[in-house]
Amino acid sequence: MDDEQVNIKKTPLYEMHLSLGARMVKFAGWQMPVQYESIIKEHEAVRSNAGVFDISHMGEFILEGKDVIKFLQHIMINDLNLLKPSKGQYSCMCYENGTVVDDLVYYEETPEKFKMIVNAGNIEKDLQWLNDHKKDFDVNITDLSTKRSRIAFQGPKSDEYLQSIIDIDLSKINRFFFAYCNINESPVFIARTGYTGEKGFELSVDNIHTNKIWNDLINLGATPAGLGARDSLRLEACYSLYGHEISDAITPVEAGLSWLVKPKEGIEYIGKDVLIKQKAEGAQRVLVGLDLVDKGVIRGDYKIFKDETEIGFVTSGGYSPTLKKTIGLGLVKRQYSDVGTEIFIEIRNKLLKGKIVSTPFYRNV
Amino acid sequence: MDYKFPEELKYTPTHEWVRVNDTQATVGITDFAQHQLGDIVFVELPEKGMVFEKGSNAVEIESVKAVGDLKMPLSGEIIEINEKIVDNPELVNSSPFNDGWIIKIAFSHPIEIDELITAHEYKVITQKELQQ
Repeated sequence: MDDEQVNIKKTPLYEMHLSLGARMVKFAGWQMPVQYESIIKEHEAVRSNAGVFDISHMGEFILEGKDVIKFLQHIMINDLNLLKPSKGQYSCMCYENGTVVDDLVYYEETPEKFKMIVNAGNIEKDLQWLNDHKKDFDVNITDLSTKRSRIAFQGPKSDEYLQSIIDIDLSKINRFFFAYCNINESPVFIARTGYTGEKGFELSVDNIHTNKIWNDLINLGATPAGLGARDSLRLEACYSLYGHEISDAITPVEAGLSWLVKPKEGIEYIGKDVLIKQKAEGAQRVLVGLDLVDKGVIRGDYKIFKDETEIGFVTSGGYSPTLKKTIGLGLVKRQYSDVGTEIFIEIRNKLLKGKIVSTPFYRNV
Repeated sequence: MDYKFPEELKYTPTHEWVRVNDTQATVGITDFAQHQLGDIVFVELPEKGMVFEKGSNAVEIESVKAVGDLKMPLSGEIIEINEKIVDNPELVNSSPFNDGWIIKIAFSHPIEIDELITAHEYKVITQKELQQ
C-alpha cells in the first residue's frame, strides 16, 4: 500500500456505499461516493422525492464554557443576538482582510454549549483558528468529527417520510431549528437545514447508529445520493462552496453574502472594519449567474470576457438537470455585472457567447 | 461491473469502437468509456466534410464531471454525424453501440483497419485500467 492509501479516511458508511454500487473518489482526504447510479438521476430524485447523503467527512465540534457566545461574537461575522437555544445560524469566520476562513453553521444548545459543523477540507484549519483565538475566553473545544456521523436527508417528501419513523412532531421544527430525538429508537441530533435548495434535514448521530439510520432512511423510499448530485443541487440553488465562491481570496460581500455581515454595535469581530466598509460601498467585483448562449458546458476557472476585456472568472459551473442546460456562477468586475450583460466565456481556447443572469437558478425551501 | 464488448466490432486502445462497411466506418465510444465519463450532457460534433488524421480529436464529449475526446480510429472525412445525440446526449450512455453512435467516416487509408484491435484485446486493456 502506498502512503496515500494508508492515510485515506473512510466514513462508517464506506462498506454500505460499496454494496450500493457507489463510485468512490478521494475528497478532502476521505473516500466518498461521487455517485451510485447516475448524478443526474440522484439529483432528480432529491428534487422530486428524497435523497440520502453521507456527509460524515464534515467536521463537528462542541464549544462549551461561560464565554462561548462572546467568543463566537468575536470570530463570526453574523450576530449571535439573533440566535437562541434550539436554533442554528449560518456564518463565515473571516480573516482581518475580510476574506473567508470557512463558512459553517453553529447551533445553540444552551448559552454555554454550541455544536458547530464545518467543511471537511477545513477541519484542521478551523480547529487551529478557534484555538488560536480563544485565549482570552473561557471556552473548551471538543472535536467530535470522527466520533459522530452526519447524514443529509433532502427532498419534498423528506418531512412525510421522516415523520413516520421519528418520535417528535417535525412540523414544530422550523427552518434552522434543531432537536435531539430518536429515529426508530436510535438517538439523533436533527436540524432543519440543508445544502440542496429543497426542504430537508441534516442529522448527526453516534457512529454506532449510522448504518441503521441510513438503512431506515433508504427503506422509506429515499435514493442514496453522492457528492456529484450534492454539487449540482447546491449549484442550482446558488449556495457557496468554499474554495469556489468564498475562499481566503474572496470576501462574503463579493460572494453575495453581505447579509451575513452584521453591524454588531460595540462588538469587535475579526474582519469587521473591512467588511462593514465593503458592504457600505459595494465590492469591486461581484458574484453573478451565468448562462451560455452557444453550446458547451461552463466549468470553474474559465475566464469571462466583455468583448476584448477580461472581466472575471467562473467560480463554479456544470450541468443543471432541472433546467436541462449548463449553468454557472462567476466573479466579475462590478461595472459589468448587470443582469443581461452579454459576455464571452473562454472554453478550451474558444470564446463562447453567454450572458449574466439572475440567481438563484432554483429554490424550493 | 459487466461491460459490453460486442465481438463483431473493432476497437482502439483509446476507447472508440468501429463498425467497418466497404469504404465507410461508423464510430462511437465504448460501454466502458461511457461508464467512466458518467452522465453525458453535451457532445461537440465536428461538421460534415471535415477531414481528420487517425488519432486526432474529432469530438469532445462533456459529462457532468469530466471532458472526454473521441479520437479518430481511422483517417478520413466526416460524412455523417448523429443528430439525435445533440438533443439527447444521454443516448451515448444508454446505447453506446447503437442509437448512441457518434460519427461516420469515409476512411482514406484502408491499411489502418489492420491496426484496430479486437473485442478481446480491448477488454484486456480495460481490465488493466481498472487495476490502476
